[in-house]
Amino acid sequence: MSQEGQADAPRSAAQDIPSWLLEPEHYEPARDRDGFIGKSMLSITGVLASFRLDDGRANRFSPSAPAKLIVGLGIILLASLSRNYFFVLVLLAALLVRACVLPARALKRVAAVSAGAAGLTFLIMLPAVFIGQSQSALLVATKVLVSVGCALTVAQTTPYNELTAALRVFHVPNLFILTIDLALKNIVRLGDIALEVLTALRLRSVGRSRDKRSSIGGVGGVVFLKTNEAAQTTYDAMCCRGFEGDYPTPPARPWRAVDAAWFAALAAAVVLFAFLQGAVS
Amino acid sequence: MHIPENYLSPSTCGVFGLAMIPIWAHAIKKVRATVPREKMPLLGVAAAFCFLAMMFNIPLPGGTTGHAVCGTLIAILFGPWAATIAVSIALIIQAVFFGDGGILAIGANCFNMAFVLPLVGFGIYSFIVGRTKKTLVSELAAAGVASYVAINAAALCAAIEFGVQPLLFTDAAGQALYCPYPLWISVPAMMVGHLTIFGAAEVVFTVGILAFVRKAAPSFGVETAVDKPTGAKALTPVYVLVAALVALTPLGLLAEGDAWGEWSTEDLAEMVGYTPVGLGDGWEWSSFMPDYSIGGLPDIAGYLLSAVIGVALLVIVFRLVAAAMKPSVSFD
Repeated sequence: MSQEGQADAPRSAAQDIPSWLLEPEHYEPARDRDGFIGKSMLSITGVLASFRLDDGRANRFSPSAPAKLIVGLGIILLASLSRNYFFVLVLLAALLVRACVLPARALKRVAAVSAGAAGLTFLIMLPAVFIGQSQSALLVATKVLVSVGCALTVAQTTPYNELTAALRVFHVPNLFILTIDLALKNIVRLGDIALEVLTALRLRSVGRSRDKRSSIGGVGGVVFLKTNEAAQTTYDAMCCRGFEGDYPTPPARPWRAVDAAWFAALAAAVVLFAFLQGAVS
Repeated sequence: MHIPENYLSPSTCGVFGLAMIPIWAHAIKKVRATVPREKMPLLGVAAAFCFLAMMFNIPLPGGTTGHAVCGTLIAILFGPWAATIAVSIALIIQAVFFGDGGILAIGANCFNMAFVLPLVGFGIYSFIVGRTKKTLVSELAAAGVASYVAINAAALCAAIEFGVQPLLFTDAAGQALYCPYPLWISVPAMMVGHLTIFGAAEVVFTVGILAFVRKAAPSFGVETAVDKPTGAKALTPVYVLVAALVALTPLGLLAEGDAWGEWSTEDLAEMVGYTPVGLGDGWEWSSFMPDYSIGGLPDIAGYLLSAVIGVALLVIVFRLVAAAMKPSVSFD
């Protein structure tokens, strides 16, 4: 092709463009009602974030995951068995001191959930206050505060994989741990997929679409299909690697030196519990 | 100086409660502007000093007791409005959880100890510091004078609040409905203690803690010099001091008797010969550890436990506030 021909082509094309196409358009799509998509995306992201980011960075004084489970369960058990308010307050003081040094995000969550649970308990126990048993209402609410706070502190400061590893130390059946592990991993993977599908749904619709709500069913369907696929591929991968349903033996040294101090504290709590329970009865 | 429930008439409590609302609102605005987000947890530690100082009861011959407040200390370290917030929260925790000071009287108590005290203290401190050479000794001297005057100003306010009650509220027989002691008894009775021993205690606490903080942890406070080390390590001495004060709180139990104006209804009835109507029939909040003690157990255990719970609660409250504040990033 000659030089002239190349120069002519765009010029003639510009002449061919119909005039209506050259006029600037002021198209502003009507605002869509897609708040539900944003909300679903936010909640999925929140769940994923809590799986991925945790405040479980261990410092010098934090116990190993198995020790944390034992101490946490022990404290919850003691708090629920105690009939002595002083003992529950001692546990509360210990929990509050621990909460003082929690990372800010974990502290917010622990405080919000445990205060909410304790407040709700107090509301439910309000009739006790009206018949002159305000002490028992306070006792039960404080017990709930201690138990929920303790459980949440353990959950917020321990990564999920360490928690399942800790279960292995206690000889929990392999099938059980396998199910938890796979469930946790799949929640993260499927959450990612759901997030992608929702993003696509949001990006590809312009203007107001009336049947957007119906496509949320499609999102569920896609995630379900992907679940089947993921289950199949996981099974295949496990077969390929010769998996027989047995996890390897627990890690050689799950315990830390500082665990001894935590167990000593728990033992002291048990002694105090026995002493104060005797004082009551 | 904690005014108990029913010693002030509900109308007096209402007036002070209403007066505190704009003060708190202004203080929150000021604190947002002047205290950076990362310093908020430290304000909680400062409030813990205040909480602990109020647990050290000091006896006065004659059977009354009193305590330091440390409001001036917080005002010097974090600014007067931050002190208003910190002391207010300490007072609220004391009233709600430990029954120290009345729930209805929170407004009046906050006015005396969280508004008058830190503002007077900070005013005098900055007046003196602005006119002398900036050395540690002159700063400590200014802090001492300021804290002494400030606690007396607060005590005078409390005495006047007590003293106007029998002048304003009496029944047909001329018996007081609420606090039975008029101004000419309440003012001297409160001021004798605060001009002498409790004022001295406030000076000792303020100057002692300030000197310790300036020497051992210079980054504790809102005006941190750039060359001073910051971070968690640099503040370890402050935490050690808080722990030491917690461990020493049982010393506050050595003082027998009640503070002036903080008697139980029965004790008051014995002293004046009748039970003021407002006190006999008044509403009272049942806190979960009244008077920092739990029935049937040694006082020391209850006192220590209260100190730990109170300090931890204060630190948690201020950490939660800091977490709720929006981070302010300057792109200049």
